[in-house]
Amino acid sequence: MNLPSRLLQLLMVVLMVGGASYLMMQSLPGDAAWRIAAGRYGYDALDAAAAASVRAELGLEAQGGLHFLYWLGDILRLELGTSLISGESVWVEIRHQLGNSLSLAGAALGISLLIGPPLGLLAGLRAGGWLDRSLLAVCSLLRATPQFLLALVLILLISVEMGLLPAAGHGEPQHFILPAMTLALGLAAVSARLVRDAMAAVTQTAFHDFARWKGLSNAQTFWRHGLRHVALPLVTYLGLQFVTLVEGVVVIESIFGWPGIGHALVHAIFSRDVPMVQGTALVLGVGFVLINLLVDLLGRQLDPRGVK
Amino acid sequence: MNQVVEGLAPQRVEAVRRPRLDWPLRRVIGAAMVASLVLLALLGNLVIPGDPLEQHLYRALQGADAVGVSDAGEVITSAPLGYDHLGRSLYHRLVAALGLSLSIAAGAVILAAFSGISLGLLAAGRGGWAERLLSLVADSLLALPGLLLVLMVSVILPSTPLALWLGLSLVLWVEFFRLARATGRSVLASPGVEASRLLGFGAWYRFRHHLWPEMAPVMMTAMAFGMANALMAIAALGFVHVGIPEPTPELGTMMVELLPYWREAPFALLTPVLVTFLLLLGLLLMSGSKARTSTAADTLEGARP
Amino acid sequence: MVKLLSRLRWQYRTFLHDRRQLAVASVALSLAVVQPSHAQDASAAQASAADTRRLEIVAPFDIKGADPLLSGILFQRMQIVETLVEVDATGELQPGLATDWEVSDDGLEWRFTLRSGVQFHDGSQLDAEVARQVLEIASAKPGLLKSVPVERIVAEDAQTLVIALSEPFAALPAYLADYRQQILAPAAFDETGTAQQVIGTGPYRMLRMTPPLSLEVTAFEDYWGPQPEVRQARYQAVSRAEGRALIAESGDADFTYGLDPASRQRLSQSPRVTLAAAATPRTMLLKVNANHPAFQDPAVRRALSLAIDRTAIAQVVLRYPRGASQLFPPMVEGWHDPALPELHQDVAKARALLDAAGWKVAEDGIRHKDGQRLAISLITFSDRPELPLVATVLERQFHAIGIQTRLDITNFSAIPAGHHDGSLDMALFARNLAMVPDPIGNVLSDYAGTPEAPGGDWGAMGWFDADFTAELERMAREGYGPTPAGQDPRAQASGVIQRALPVIPIAWYYQNLAISNRLQSAQVDPWERSFGLSELRWAQ
Repeated sequence: MNLPSRLLQLLMVVLMVGGASYLMMQSLPGDAAWRIAAGRYGYDALDAAAAASVRAELGLEAQGGLHFLYWLGDILRLELGTSLISGESVWVEIRHQLGNSLSLAGAALGISLLIGPPLGLLAGLRAGGWLDRSLLAVCSLLRATPQFLLALVLILLISVEMGLLPAAGHGEPQHFILPAMTLALGLAAVSARLVRDAMAAVTQTAFHDFARWKGLSNAQTFWRHGLRHVALPLVTYLGLQFVTLVEGVVVIESIFGWPGIGHALVHAIFSRDVPMVQGTALVLGVGFVLINLLVDLLGRQLDPRGVK
Repeated sequence: MNQVVEGLAPQRVEAVRRPRLDWPLRRVIGAAMVASLVLLALLGNLVIPGDPLEQHLYRALQGADAVGVSDAGEVITSAPLGYDHLGRSLYHRLVAALGLSLSIAAGAVILAAFSGISLGLLAAGRGGWAERLLSLVADSLLALPGLLLVLMVSVILPSTPLALWLGLSLVLWVEFFRLARATGRSVLASPGVEASRLLGFGAWYRFRHHLWPEMAPVMMTAMAFGMANALMAIAALGFVHVGIPEPTPELGTMMVELLPYWREAPFALLTPVLVTFLLLLGLLLMSGSKARTSTAADTLEGARP
Repeated sequence: MVKLLSRLRWQYRTFLHDRRQLAVASVALSLAVVQPSHAQDASAAQASAADTRRLEIVAPFDIKGADPLLSGILFQRMQIVETLVEVDATGELQPGLATDWEVSDDGLEWRFTLRSGVQFHDGSQLDAEVARQVLEIASAKPGLLKSVPVERIVAEDAQTLVIALSEPFAALPAYLADYRQQILAPAAFDETGTAQQVIGTGPYRMLRMTPPLSLEVTAFEDYWGPQPEVRQARYQAVSRAEGRALIAESGDADFTYGLDPASRQRLSQSPRVTLAAAATPRTMLLKVNANHPAFQDPAVRRALSLAIDRTAIAQVVLRYPRGASQLFPPMVEGWHDPALPELHQDVAKARALLDAAGWKVAEDGIRHKDGQRLAISLITFSDRPELPLVATVLERQFHAIGIQTRLDITNFSAIPAGHHDGSLDMALFARNLAMVPDPIGNVLSDYAGTPEAPGGDWGAMGWFDADFTAELERMAREGYGPTPAGQDPRAQASGVIQRALPVIPIAWYYQNLAISNRLQSAQVDPWERSFGLSELRWAQ
């Protein structure tokens, strides 16, 4: 995909998110003021007076088609509004949360790259061997396990039974490990298979044989000729992985109490904080497009043969 | 080595060819697992009748009752797998949950496949603006995390099963669209199809005889994989309390509900966990290695979106 | 390859050797620095001001903002802010930032004497003028103070605050103990009256606040009262009950507030934690729409109550020994009347009552009358995890007497919203009957009202008793002196609710917490106003 089409994709994402958020706001049964007051004051303190004050403060009335255009216009000017619950600017809140989520995602990606590709390489080098078969089994098992289940198993084993790591929370380096591990295992399962497939394919090609006959060692062959072929699908996959990571992040952050975007998103959905949902969705969608743009560029570096 | 004989010309990097023997076996095992669970969902209540909603509070978290026959000759409805935390039969809840999850996931996959394939072939056949617009929509939908889409749809639509069905279809159709478009592009341009058209055969004939045989294997694996994704999404949503509402049993909510009792009654928690796991594993085995890496396979051949 | 391996081996050994030296050095250093502490009394606690142990607290409450209305209750529980009036464990009002108060003979003028020498965390002083400003801001916002007939608040001199009422209101001091009337420094507020920072007077001051999930406090050196032994604390919000229990079990939290029933059982067997519990004035109750054609009849409401197996619900779902026998739990003195006939289960009687009321069972097992099915919706919410569970049980128990119930687990604002637009049939929630230590406020707002707008958002719906309302208003004005018949008016009021059943009590609540071995012991505040951090002692 080239730059103009990525930009078009960007615009489309913005349109879709804006439209969906607008639909959400319109379709909420009853008065949004009640829900917003609920999010602010809690069930012990919520009453009609609180809802009325919210209604007056925010001036909540739906308008119509023109309203939708204004709505879109706001988004395009990057005016994401303020959270209906906390009153903070949506952009400020998202920045905080995004930072947390990105650090978690980054840690997960890092760990998965340490585990997955090396194992995949080794398995691919001897396709059909015992490492290959056991890797296949383990990866299938991991992919069949829903992420929250994996998280729970890890928490129960490592945190509760063995007491090695904290079960939830945020702030210290050790809080990273369990959530990042959970995400990383899922990612590594797929990337290991991917690399294994690519590596096995490479070992069957003629140029690989030729390189070995020339006198290059296994390692040298790999570094000079094999790496690019293996790296290419991996890099592309990583770009697509962003979406899976984000999905995993929603559930993982809930379980581990990580103050990131996933956690904020679920809360915003519950309390019908539409600006927050919209802002989050926009950031995620736009981020995806940008990352894939990066991946395209990187891919072009790795494989100058170009798109067929 | 055979390759020596075939020549020294550089070959394209192909997707790996596994020894033929493994592949069908894995698929067979997977299909067997899924089939047995589907049978359980369909016939479970006939074999051991019971009510998934009936509560016997003081039997909560207790173990299995033997299925027996009373003196009057009636089958005693009881709980072959024990009771959950509200004294409901785990077996009957599992059967009901399997049925519900499977029907929503299957429904979503069918709707997604139908719309994805039709739109994909339309795009491939028409080309031009239609194709570009549809591809744009598909790629943009891909950019949004599936869970987020389903969550947003669940806010817009009040009924949860309906929202899950539509939301999941929205997420899944992209994959079918892309596969159909890719296959359609190459097939529809082939001389065989052109000949059929010149001979006067209609669109349905062309689909059945030219397109479908090409698409079928990939579509099947995509459907299996889509089912697995849909089931995982339903369970994950149940886990964050946005799923199917009480008292209807569902696999994800069963896991969440029984989680606090994992030390008191681990077997109770294990039951929905094992069933979900086996279902997902079976579906993944059925889908083989090509499905998820389909986009990666595209990449290997340089056919990026 | 062999060369590479041997090189690696050499590097590894050197690395280990260096590490060992480093380890030994750091152990020696830390032994030299860390002294065993023997703090045994308050003065020693002051001497160990260098104690850098940080208390880790975990609870479900998110941090939404600095304003008292948003997360003020959390700041009060963390003892960052204080109120004019405090409450002890038995519910008696105690001096807080006000040392004394008195009311004029006509009941219209209250004088509060403020404590002298109280500093805010930013160094400013507390005086009557500051208190006046803060209370005026509080009374303009939604909250309980708005329902008090305050005419004006005046700072008579530096230490005396006068509150003039338009009508007598005996419970005013209790209202001033509510978290919404917390006293913050004037510098904390912006020009719209919304607090932007939390600057209080409590023994702990805010070090760092990172909404929504954490905040850190440290002991305030210039606090007017005794210095706490725990000098640093960090609070983390964990909304999932299982998550909190896991954190408590693994020892990562010293103080875990709010445990679900299953985790309580598990934790009671763990050597790493000690549990503490206290009864709270919170009751799980079923709000019934008395305007509904079926529930207009008190006999039908009684049938609903008779269908419920409260003991099973309490023992199996909540893991408490028994359910509620009336609305007010025993710890609410005066309002709880042990002489009232207990609510109990009698399914046969329930069916008989429904038959007598004209609701006959049809073929599908659901009752019909005049062509209408007895099918209702029950609203509840999942913020408190036990509520959907109990709702599920109730659905079956009502089914057993022929009522079809559809569960609607949604945002809790649907309950007051449904009350106001009349769409609510039944709702299940846990009502704090004494947000203010004196329940009269809540009872008035929940069960009084007017003939046009009977009951309250979280109380009765469609039910109005003029005599009852008049009596409640009298109690609010004059207090709880015995009635002409020599009885406690509070018990009388309780009896009215018990007989009419505008709401159906189900279970009483206990607040739970788990503390780690690092602490000696902990008390749960039954009024849920404080975590009791300043009373905690480290175990040595």
